[in-house]
Order: sequence, then C-alpha cells, then structure tokens
Amino acid sequence: MGLLSLFVFSPIVGLVLISLLSNNSSPKIVQRYALIGGFIPLIVSWIVYFIYQRNNRLAENFSWFSYETDSRTLVIDYELELNGFRLALLLLTTLIVTLSILASVKDIKKNPKLFYQWLFILELGMLGVFASDNMFLFFFFFELTLIPMFFLIGKWGHVEREETAYKYLIYNGLGSAVLLIAIVAVFIQAGNANFEAVKDYMSTMDDQAYQIGVIVAFLVAFGVKLPIVPLHSWMVNVHVYAPPAVVMIHAGVLLKIGAYGLLQFGAGMFPETFPLLAVTLAVLGLINLLYGAFLALIQDDLRKVFAYASVSHMGIILLGIAGMNTAGYQGAIFQTISHGLISALLFYLVGVLINRTSTTNLEKLGGLWTTAPVLSGFFLAAALAGLGLPGMSGFVSEFMAFLGVFENLPVFGAIGIIGIILTAVYFLRAILNISFGKRKGKALDKMTDLRNLELLPAGVLLAFIILIGVYPDSLGQLLQITLETFVAGMGG
Amino acid sequence: MISFAWLIPLFPLLSFLVLILSGKKLKTVSGYLASLLTGISFIFTLGVIADLRSVTEYEATWTWLTIGTTDIQAGVWLNPLNGLMLFIVSFVSLLVHIYSLGYMGENDRRATYFAYLGLFTFAMLGLVMSPNLIQFYMFWELVGLGSFLLIGFYLYKESAKRAARKAFIMTRIGDAGLLVGLILIFWQTGSLSFTEIFQAVEQNEFAPGMVTLTAILLFIGAVGKSGQFPLHTWLPDAMEGPTPVSALIHAATMVAAGVYLVAAAYPLFLASEWALMIVAVIGAFTAIFAATIGLVQDDLKRVLAYSTVSQLGYMMLALGAGGYVAGMFHLTTHAFFKALLFLAAGSVILALRKQNIKEIAGEGRHLAITKWGFLAGTLAISGFPLLSGSFSKEAIFAALLEDGQYGLLGVALLTAFLTSVYMFRLYFMVFHGKGADKPPKSVPVSMKIPVIILAALAVISGFFATGFADWLAAEQEYAVLHHSPTWLIFLATLLSLGGIVFAYFIYVRKQMDREEWKTTFSSTYTILYHKYFIDEFYQNTIIYSTRAISYLMYYTERYVVETIAAFAAGMVKEIGKTGSRLQNGRVQTYGTVALLGLAVIVLIFVVRGGYF
Repeated sequence: MGLLSLFVFSPIVGLVLISLLSNNSSPKIVQRYALIGGFIPLIVSWIVYFIYQRNNRLAENFSWFSYETDSRTLVIDYELELNGFRLALLLLTTLIVTLSILASVKDIKKNPKLFYQWLFILELGMLGVFASDNMFLFFFFFELTLIPMFFLIGKWGHVEREETAYKYLIYNGLGSAVLLIAIVAVFIQAGNANFEAVKDYMSTMDDQAYQIGVIVAFLVAFGVKLPIVPLHSWMVNVHVYAPPAVVMIHAGVLLKIGAYGLLQFGAGMFPETFPLLAVTLAVLGLINLLYGAFLALIQDDLRKVFAYASVSHMGIILLGIAGMNTAGYQGAIFQTISHGLISALLFYLVGVLINRTSTTNLEKLGGLWTTAPVLSGFFLAAALAGLGLPGMSGFVSEFMAFLGVFENLPVFGAIGIIGIILTAVYFLRAILNISFGKRKGKALDKMTDLRNLELLPAGVLLAFIILIGVYPDSLGQLLQITLETFVAGMGG
Repeated sequence: MISFAWLIPLFPLLSFLVLILSGKKLKTVSGYLASLLTGISFIFTLGVIADLRSVTEYEATWTWLTIGTTDIQAGVWLNPLNGLMLFIVSFVSLLVHIYSLGYMGENDRRATYFAYLGLFTFAMLGLVMSPNLIQFYMFWELVGLGSFLLIGFYLYKESAKRAARKAFIMTRIGDAGLLVGLILIFWQTGSLSFTEIFQAVEQNEFAPGMVTLTAILLFIGAVGKSGQFPLHTWLPDAMEGPTPVSALIHAATMVAAGVYLVAAAYPLFLASEWALMIVAVIGAFTAIFAATIGLVQDDLKRVLAYSTVSQLGYMMLALGAGGYVAGMFHLTTHAFFKALLFLAAGSVILALRKQNIKEIAGEGRHLAITKWGFLAGTLAISGFPLLSGSFSKEAIFAALLEDGQYGLLGVALLTAFLTSVYMFRLYFMVFHGKGADKPPKSVPVSMKIPVIILAALAVISGFFATGFADWLAAEQEYAVLHHSPTWLIFLATLLSLGGIVFAYFIYVRKQMDREEWKTTFSSTYTILYHKYFIDEFYQNTIIYSTRAISYLMYYTERYVVETIAAFAAGMVKEIGKTGSRLQNGRVQTYGTVALLGLAVIVLIFVVRGGYF
C-alpha cells in the first residue's frame, strides 16, 4: 500500500479507536478519541503535501479488474493520483473535518460514538473522491459519502431532520444515478476509466454530439451536488436542519465535489468540447448568483441567509468556469477552496450561537456585541470574507472569476457584477442585525463570549482565509500545473 | 529613505493588530500607542518626500498573484502626486489621532476606536502608493471598511448601524463600476499597472470607445467614494460616526480618494473628451446641488457634510476641465480647512453636548480657540482673499476659463457665493448670539493643538500655489497652473464677500425674518430641507423593486422548486413502495439500498454485456 492509499484510508484509525470504546463511555471521552482520530488524517495530509511539493508527483495504481469483450479490453484499475487542485481539496477536507470534530463538542450529545463513526466514514469517502484518478473509483468513494451524511442529518439534525435527510438522499441518489450512467457511457466508449486515458481518447474522437450529451449528464449530476438552481432545494434544507458541525463539512467540502467534478469530468476529460458550453454555464452561473442573492436578502433566519449565500457563491464558480480560460478556472478553483473555508467559518460560528441562544432567527437576536464582542467580531469578519472584501480569500476568487468571464462574455460579467453589490447587502443586513443595535433576546443577557479552545477553529479558518487573500500565490502556485492541463487541451 | 517607503503603511497596521488583539487590556495607553505609530509613519513620509525632490519616481513591486503567464504585482509606487497624498494622509491622520486622545478620552471602547483608525490609515496610505489598479482597488475597499467600522462605531445606535450599512452599500455600487473598469482595462492592455496603462493609451492600443468606457467606469467608482451625485446620499448620513472620524475620513482623505483616482489615472481621462466632460458636468452639478441643500440644514455636522460634497464637486469640475493642478490644489487646501472645521465642530459638540445649530444659538462663543479656528476655516472655504481657499478656487475658475467652459464657470461662481452664505450662516448661528451664559465644559489641550495647526495651514497654505504646481509638474506635463485675469479675481472676491455680508445681515443683524422666507418660498424650502427627496426616491424605486424581485423569487422557490422536489420525492417513494413489499416504514434505508443496488446492477450489466 502506498502513501496515498494510507492517507485515504487513514480515517479508519479513528473509526477503530472509536469502535473500541465501550458503549457507555462519556461523550467527553469519545470526543477526545475522535479528535485524535481526526488529527491523524490531518497530519498525514500535510506530510503528503510536503512530499508532493518536493516531487511534484504522487500516484499509485494496480490493476483492479479488466474485462475482455469481442473486440477489446475494458480496464478498471485502482488508481490514485494527486495534482495541485486535488491536494488543496484534500488539505481542506482534513482541516475542516478536524475543526468540525472540535465544533461538535457541545453540539452532539446523543450517541456520540455512532456520530463519529459515521463522520470518519464520511471523511474516508471525501478523501477518496479527491484522490481518485479514475471514474469508477471516484464513483465508489462518491457513493461512500452519501450514506454517512444521510445518517448524520437524519439522526443528529434539528427540527425537520428526517424530511431533510430523505430529501438529501433522493436528490443525491438521482444525481449519482445520472453520474453512473454518464460514467458508464464514457467507459464503454473509451474502454478505460482513467481520467487521463479518457481525455486522450476523447481528443481523437469526432462525435461532438455524443460528447456534449455526456457533458450535460455530468453537468446534471454535479449540478445536484454544487448545487445548480433549480436542483438546490435539498441543500438549503441541509444547511438549516443539519447540525452545524455537519454543515461545516457539507458546505465546506461536500458541495465542493460538485465543482471539482465539473472541472475534472468536464474540463479535464473534454478540453475541446467543454468550452462549447460556456454560454450555458454562464447563464446557469448568473441564475445561481442572482437567485441566491435575492433570496438571501429576505430570509429571516441566519442559517437560511447563509444557505442562499452558498447558492449565490456557487454561481461564481460556474461563471468562472464559463470563462474557459486560465483566469476563470483559477477563479473557480479559488472560489471552491475559499468558499469551503468561509462557509465552514460561518457555520462554526452559527453552531456557537445556537449553542448559547438556541435560535438563529434574525428577529429574535440583536446587540450580540454587548455580551459577546469577540463572537460578533468573528461574525463580522466572516461576513466580510463572504462579501468578498479584499485581503480575504473571497475577493481573489471573485476577481479572477470575473476577470475570466469578462474576456469572452463581458455582458454576463456585467450582469453578474450586480451580484457583488447584493452580496454586500444581504451579509451586512444579517450580521448587523444580530450583532449591532440594542440587545434583544433573553438568552443574550447571560451569554458567554467565545473563549479559549473555542477560539481555535475560528482563528485557524480566518487565518487561512486571510493568508489566501493577502498572498494568493500561496495557493496559486499549487494550482499552476493543474490549470495548464485544463487549458492546454482547449482548441483555439 | 525612499526604499523604506513600504514601511509607511505598516506602522498603522501594527497599531490596528496590536489594539484589536489585545482587547481591552491596552485601553488606557491605546491612544498614545496609536498616535506614536502614526507619528512614525509621518516622519517616514517626510523622509520619502525629501527624497522625492531628487528622485521624482520610485517603484518597487513583488509578485502577488500569477494568472497563467501574467504576473500581478503588489508594491509601492511613488511620484509627486502620490507623495503629496502621502503627506496629506499621514499628516491629517496624525492630527486626528492626537485630537482623539481628548475627544474619545473617556470612551470605554477607545482601544477599538484607535484600532479602526489604524486600519483606516493603513489602507489609505496603501491606496495612495498603489502601483496598479488592482492594489488600488483592494485598498479602496479597505478604506471603505475603515469608514464603515467607524461610522458604525456607536453600534448601540440604530441610526449608526443604518448609516454604516448605507455607506458600505452605496460606495460598493460605485466600486462595482471601478471593478468592471479595471477588468476591461486588463483585457485591453494586458496589465493593470498605471504606467503600462498610460503607455497603452499613448500608443492607442485600446479598442475604439474603450478609453471612454473604461474612464467612465473608473469615474463611477470615484462618484461613489467622493459622494458625487447621484451616489452622494451616504456621506451626510456618515456623520453618525465620531467627529474626528468625519474630519479624517469624510472630509480630508477617503472621500478625496475619488478625486485622487481621476488624477492618478489622468492620462486615460485626457484621452477621452467625453469622459472629461462627464467628470466636469457631474462635478459642477454636485457642487451647486449640495450647496443649495447646505443652506437649510440644521445639523452642524450635516451642513459641513454637504459642504464637503460640494467642494469635492469643485475638485471633479476642475479635473474635468483640465485643471489638474487646480483640482489637486483644492484637494490639499480643502483637506486642511475642512479637517479644521470638523475638528472645531467636534470641540463644540463635545463642550455643548448638542449639534443642532438652532439649539446651540451662539453658545459656541465661549470657546475662544475653537471660535477663531472655525472662523479661519470658514473664511478659507468661503474664498476670502489671501486665505488658502481663495487661491485654490481661483485656480479652478482660471482652468474653467482657459478650457472655455463658460456655463460651468457660471455655476462654479454661483456656488462660491452660496458657499459663503451657508458657511457664514453656520458660523454666525454657532458662535454669535445670546445663548446660555454659563461657561460650557472646557476643551482639552490635545484637541486644541490640532485645531491651531490646521488653522495656521488654512490661512497660509494658499501662498504655496506656485511651488505646488512645480512639484507636480516634475513628473506630469499636464500639471499646469492657470492664472485668472484680474476681472475674474475681482468677481470671485466680490461674490465671496457678498455672501458673507448677506449672511451677516440675515443671521446677525436679522434684517430679514428667516421664518418669513420659509413661508414665502415654502415649496423650495421643503425640497431643500428634504434634500431633493433623493433618499425617498431611492427607497421607492430601487429598494422596493429589489424587494419585489426577492419576493418573486421567494414564491418561485416556494411553489415551483418545491413542487419539483415533492414530485421527485413522490416518485421515488412510489418506486420504493412497489419494489419492496416488506417495507416497514424505513423508506430511507430502502431507498439507499435500492440506489446502491441499482448502481451495482448497472455496473455488472455493463461489464458483462459490454454494451449499454
């Protein structure tokens, strides 16, 4: 087993650790072991990072199975391979899972053992998704993320948790059915499931209609995950009713599979045909951006505001991809990472808030600064990051995405710019509402501020957000080669 | 010294970081620490300016972001214009820091206040040294953040919260224009660096019409930041912030950044007659429009705010008419006398605890230094002969005459008259009259010193006009100072003095009954008092239609999207029901199993059959 496999399966250590605990160990003990379990993939991911930085290549494969038909051999290998984009997502995953375990400390009281078991299986799935270099392996891990998430929502969520879990499963199940069909359709043609091999095959193939058909199928499949309006309603529910610690992973990492998939399966496998969808993607991006923003404007619940903000921010990813140039792709990738960090921060803070006030209703909250200045400071910082303030990661991402889309589709870019104004409006409305003004709500009177260990997740996330914002090349350098391969194959 | 220029913004940044991270621990020393660090910045600035006399231009950059084959830089760029701005910003910021020692002396959250001041100063210094448009834009947004935080500093007040939000959003509308402008420039020139953009302009590399379009888009950004019509409404509301903040941000520096943007990108504007024309017309309109509103407002700070809007209009007008030196010179003198007026007004507000000029009714006369300081500022802004404002305004009139803009010159002259009237109305109502006799609360020394220094500058800085022009001309050939013919100087002086006399007869001698005016011209008065109902207009058009769209989407979400969702759920449920007779209510689990099963079946089928 190579280093990459060890990395991908490293959450099993945590899983085993937790399973060894007796069923009636106190939640505190369970959480402590879960944290140890969470740190293992985190540490390994940074080791992988440094090794990758030195060698610029990290891959492993062995034959899994192949099948002879009348005319040719169909091959499915077990293949893992890193590139900068994948590595960035892997680092994001291990970071956010660890922080989510920290965040869950006060949130998860019911059967914590089971909770963390599911969490580690989920992490395993996510790491596999981002490390696979092969469509079937990707699909296997993709499916593996579905089930734990279903239970995490349904069992530990709030109010409408069961409906939400069910809705989640239906949307994602249908999405993965479409994905599987598309993967199979590609596999049958190419005879290989490896991304690179498929790409090479597709560049010699002339059937454009077929390619567009497959790309559209991928667009639908990953459109559920991203999500693309109107396939988004499950994700709003998850944002609102899943426990905040789980939403950190959901918004921070799982939605990113949609963006990653779109780039890897679309731009990565069909570099010549994919640009034909530029206008479609731009239209969808604009719809996401504006639809989400307008809806975020009138929500009366903080979690709903952030949910629609996510919808809106995903529009920027689509717009960036629609640019079909280096700037646009780079913007989309930056936005993927950046939104992961920002939404994890936002929902970490939401978790802290719910813990103390039991509500996120905007009308019931106000004047948070009086009793919790540090928490409201973090809320403000997170909102500023969300609205794309320069010096934070969101700005760099938006800037590059818009730069990209303006080269070929300036009209779409110009309309999209309205989105950045609306973003400021809804974020400020929500945040100023809870933190400024006179104190509202009894829970706020004896509320404690963020302190000690609670500061850690918020501080770490904010530090990464600012690092990328102030020195974007820290992330950018990692992505150069990936971007070149995406763009290089483009015809004219 | 000049190679250490990059350190200049870092001292205030350090002040911000230390104070924001230390919480309340450094409360008592926060003001002194912040002032000290800003002072160091100021000393470095002086050193850099001394070097600039011989070097004239200096650039140092580092790669900030790589996009494909393009490297976007960050760094410092110094030339006479930037040096001038550097001086104004660090100087006024230092004075405001010192003044705040007294003004905010008892505030419990003063560590936060000084932290925000540091953040703002850092951003403003970074802005004026930007070598390219993207760095400029980033700091441009960050000064907006500083402004937002300080407007909302009294965060328990609903009005402060609203004003802060309004300021951020209104300026962001302008910023969107700036962002689009710079992106378009990037695709035209392949660069965002000022020098490379100017080269591209010179060599006609822009597509037809793009020079005008991009210049106008940049100007939209300037309109937002500098409170020009129609994006001016946030600036008067910004007076919710502490008064020293109004002096620094909303009078001397940040609001002048829009003017600075036009000046910094001047070659681009010069290449398009249309763009220049728009700058001039918007500037002239804003100047007179805001002046008329200033005539009837009753809040001390709001009158000053409208006067700032109006004076910024003057600067835009000058730049639009080719008066590069005139515009920048007025920016400089205005920074001194308007900061002075705000700081003096702050002393009045602190001492009297009121800021409605009708309630003050002359009570300010007990504050001697404040009174003389305010008078110096009022005379300067009114264009009283030999004071700084008269020189810079005269330069603007001369530029307009030179450019042949007779109509705009008329507007400018009329505005000069109105300026005298409303400023002396303010002065007389605050410092003349028979208000309470008891001596009000005294003003601490730390607040008097900045007023005295600025008063001196407001009086004498006009005499440096020629040296000022030479300084700017070292680098830019379009930096020419125009001189007015005698008749124009005479006319301008007459209008200025006429305004003062007019105000004197109304507000001191009470020759005319003010209440009677209100009834005779009641509709005019109502319109002016309500600021031409612009806020109400925005409320009823833009804000309502935005909400309407939101609700349209809300119902779409509720009825269309949710119906699709319900349909999908129902469908899957039906399949689940028919598929599994053994179901015991745990549909979800079966659903999962079913889908996974489907996946496996399809896979096996595919591999076996080889076809689909």
